[in-house]
Amino acid sequence: MPTAVEPRTETQHSLPAKNRAVAICGPPNVGKSSFFNRLTGLRQKVANYPGITVEKRIGSLRLEDGGQVDLIDLPGIVGMHPRSEDERICVEILRGRSATLPRPAAAILLLDSTNLQAHLRMVPGILGLGLPTLVVLNMADELEARGGSVDTEAVSAQIGVPVVLASAVTGTGMREVVRFLQGSLAPAHKVELPVINNIPGERKWAHSVAAQSSYHAPEPSLWGRRLDRIFLHPVGGPMIFLAVVIAVFQSIFTLAVPIMDAVESAIGVSAGWIGALLPDSMLKGLLLDGVWGGVGSVLVFLPQILILFLFIGVLEDSGYLARAAVIADRSMRAIGLEGRSFIPLLSSYACAIPAVMAARTIENQRDRLATLLVAPLTTCSARLPVYALLIAAFIPERPLLGPFLGTRAAVLLALYAAGFIAACGTAWLLKSMVLRSKPAPFVLQLPAYRWPTIRSLAFRLIDRSKIFLRRAGTVILVTTIVLWFLASVPYQDGEPPPIGESLAGSIGRTIEPLVEPLGLNWKIGIGLITSLAAREVIVGTLGTIYGMEADEGSPALQQALQAELSFGGAIALLMYFAFAMQCMSTVAIVRRETGGWKWPAIQFGYMLALAYSTGFAAYRVFG
Amino acid sequence: MPSTESDSLDRLPPGVTAVIAALDFEEADRVRLMELGFIPGSSVSCQRVVPLGDLAIFQVEGTQVALRKDTAARITLQPSSAARNPDADSG
Repeated sequence: MPTAVEPRTETQHSLPAKNRAVAICGPPNVGKSSFFNRLTGLRQKVANYPGITVEKRIGSLRLEDGGQVDLIDLPGIVGMHPRSEDERICVEILRGRSATLPRPAAAILLLDSTNLQAHLRMVPGILGLGLPTLVVLNMADELEARGGSVDTEAVSAQIGVPVVLASAVTGTGMREVVRFLQGSLAPAHKVELPVINNIPGERKWAHSVAAQSSYHAPEPSLWGRRLDRIFLHPVGGPMIFLAVVIAVFQSIFTLAVPIMDAVESAIGVSAGWIGALLPDSMLKGLLLDGVWGGVGSVLVFLPQILILFLFIGVLEDSGYLARAAVIADRSMRAIGLEGRSFIPLLSSYACAIPAVMAARTIENQRDRLATLLVAPLTTCSARLPVYALLIAAFIPERPLLGPFLGTRAAVLLALYAAGFIAACGTAWLLKSMVLRSKPAPFVLQLPAYRWPTIRSLAFRLIDRSKIFLRRAGTVILVTTIVLWFLASVPYQDGEPPPIGESLAGSIGRTIEPLVEPLGLNWKIGIGLITSLAAREVIVGTLGTIYGMEADEGSPALQQALQAELSFGGAIALLMYFAFAMQCMSTVAIVRRETGGWKWPAIQFGYMLALAYSTGFAAYRVFG
Repeated sequence: MPSTESDSLDRLPPGVTAVIAALDFEEADRVRLMELGFIPGSSVSCQRVVPLGDLAIFQVEGTQVALRKDTAARITLQPSSAARNPDADSG
């Protein structure tokens, strides 16, 4: 039976009718995700540093014969000896040992045609799995642009499976890929591959295959080195990083404001229409105050979140992020982690959930645990609506560094810094006490610099909008409706009660003693409870509560907050949101990733303690 | 020439290429480093030493890999294999 590769007797293979799953595998940074996007058009995260594709992504492709193929985009692997969690997942799926996915019917091995000699080393391991395989030499456009070339038929003749030169960016060669998926692309020759089980042997074999395929390696790209000289410069490198971060935060406020104003007035106008259409009833109250007031007040923040993700996307896709990890290695080591932990920590600025999963790329299990325990302390995008609301209400805008940095952006920056410092401090405590471990060798592959493509950035933003809108449409919608009911009962003389006498009001008053030391009143207290589901829910909750309280029309939420909250209370609330684990989805994912309730419970507890104590201190200082 | 004296990777100066001889790690770590390109017989060059740290960036098997100095110290080079690489970045 199959040793290295099983010679197939028929000239065609066909995928079984029931299982048409095809795995896309290959080393990191060969453009697997772009390739997957090109084929399926489905949302998919593309990144440029090792191991971002930590979630299995499945997309489907309709074939001309009416059939359908399910493509699985697997995390990058550098060989068949997995060390990190995501590599283990990939190899398990390929070997058919995954509990969640059946063994794929075929595989596409994606290699970088600009680095063929090194990448062909992957071939014997993958073909040894015995699956019908297509080898795609990606980045044909780059190979050609830099003066390289390869004879794909010669490669195919030597390895015994079809080989296609393709470019996921330009679309070259994708027709052949589809032909393979239809089962009509087969190798011209049958070949026995030598059985090699050592890496130096594989390397020799790969070099000889490349040599006999008249492979001309492309000219090395010089601008990559020039960029490294700038981005890894002793002084310039860290300064550039800082400048980039400041630019991101400033644009979150300046660039997004006009768009947000437009969204806000659109919601206001549409609320007016609905109000005019509907007769006065309880349903009208639910729709206007509950749904429109609650969900609408969260929707306003979509532009800011998309701007943040656009910047993160550019940093990741360009390859800059891996350089930042190199710069960060020393500081990461000071807190007991390694440069690699920096990447999940950075992506947790977008959302803690992918960050917790991205921690799978960390080989040392104790480092991985420490990383995922502290990741939710860094400022995720769900905090942004809360921060933006409170900052706009309580911090007057004044220029600090001319037009470059205003007070509001500076406070936002400080909140981000607070989250980062808390994450580092906690990691250090964990690593120097409960999770102490021997340092493993630190190795990090640096991807080549690439221009982020509009296509890939668009995929990210669409992806992000969908997730955000789904949350707004489910978690936030449900909590605002439930809250609206709690705030509308018991009816008094056929009228909804004043908010203070409603059921929500009495719940709020019950917990008021708990939040009072932070300078918060019972209305905010209700918000703290509802936002346990997701942080941004508090904005909708306050929108609902204040909307219902208002006598004529709902006042701007900011003004309502200014009247209710002292400056110290606002700072305390910011601190609470900076540190508390107000996100059930993160609790769930940490439970799944650590295999039990112990670590999520510890995480929830320490974060709550940190949030409460800093909130208390802030109220004392600023109150 | 200082380059000919370097017998472990951490002592390879920027801009110099040499051939890897052996890796002194436990099996799992050794396999991982080989999978990332540090294979006995491969040419390796040091591209730059990272500021403020003890990391260096190496070019090996067509990819750039960052290693800490203590890791690089356990990768030995073939004696007298070092040669100046005109392509490499010396700064």
